Amino acid sequence: MKKHLAVIAAIMVFLAVFIPLASSNPDGLERVVETFGAAEHAPFWNGLMSDYAIAAIGNPYVSTLLAGVFGTFMVLLAAFLLGKAMAPKNTEALK
Amino acid sequence: MHIPDGLITNVPSIAAAVGMWIIFIAFLAWSWKKAKATYSRSITALLAISSAFVFAAQMINFPIAFGTSGHLVGGTFLAVLLGPYAAILSMTIVLLMQAFFFADGGILAFGMNAFNMAIIGGLSFFLIKLLTRGSAGSRRFIPSVFVVSWLSVMAGALVAALEVSPAFAGGVMVTVPSMLFYHVIIGLGEGAITVVLISSLQRVQPAIMGGLTLLKEKTKL
Repeated sequence: MKKHLAVIAAIMVFLAVFIPLASSNPDGLERVVETFGAAEHAPFWNGLMSDYAIAAIGNPYVSTLLAGVFGTFMVLLAAFLLGKAMAPKNTEALK
Repeated sequence: MHIPDGLITNVPSIAAAVGMWIIFIAFLAWSWKKAKATYSRSITALLAISSAFVFAAQMINFPIAFGTSGHLVGGTFLAVLLGPYAAILSMTIVLLMQAFFFADGGILAFGMNAFNMAIIGGLSFFLIKLLTRGSAGSRRFIPSVFVVSWLSVMAGALVAALEVSPAFAGGVMVTVPSMLFYHVIIGLGEGAITVVLISSLQRVQPAIMGGLTLLKEKTKL
């Protein structure tokens, strides 16, 4: 358990360190869309935190970091529940 | 390579999106059934933590050439760690959270994105298994991880190029070469990062290669 918490903490540190270093250039698909001009329309769902930013927070670093931490915990929780649902009954956990 | 709903514009692309949703649901049901039957031990902790890591890693875009960037997909990484079935489920969760909370990848296009990253990523397990004869101790293990990670990105990019082609005036003649061009390089990043992750994990905790050890005798395809 302690080991797991340490790994989760390390993921947070990873986000805190690498978010400011991440490239803001378009990714491969976005580049293709920009270069060749696709027939694109506005999306009908903008998410709760579009583009990994919390609108209420002005500082872009803090905004993206918090969005990232939130997302990481949501994935952690969902995957944990999935693992529980998937696990065979009455067996020891994989360490 | 997350396809946004904005690119699902006309009848052919809507048909493709619906078709990919159906294929995705079929694979999801298959992975869930196989996952429940296959894992003889709980992999909850590993599943939760590796999924969370892949989400975090996907946020960090690395620059490639030509003012373009890419990020780790992590499909092959999850497949080596968790085996194919849990990897498909894990990546589906990552993509679901990205689409729902952050509008990274569309809702209508979700079947496409899930196929390109979760399903291709998860199925890449079988290629590694084939190349290494199911042993993480094989001398070919790390080279296989590199090649298969690269290939999984190329395959995902190819399918994505076909899927988005109706939105482009030039169709597949434009999307396929250009998507493959950028993803040849992005895939090298995928391969390098996956090799670093897998070889470090193998050194620190060899037992963690659950995908290959846990499933050795049970994953026949």
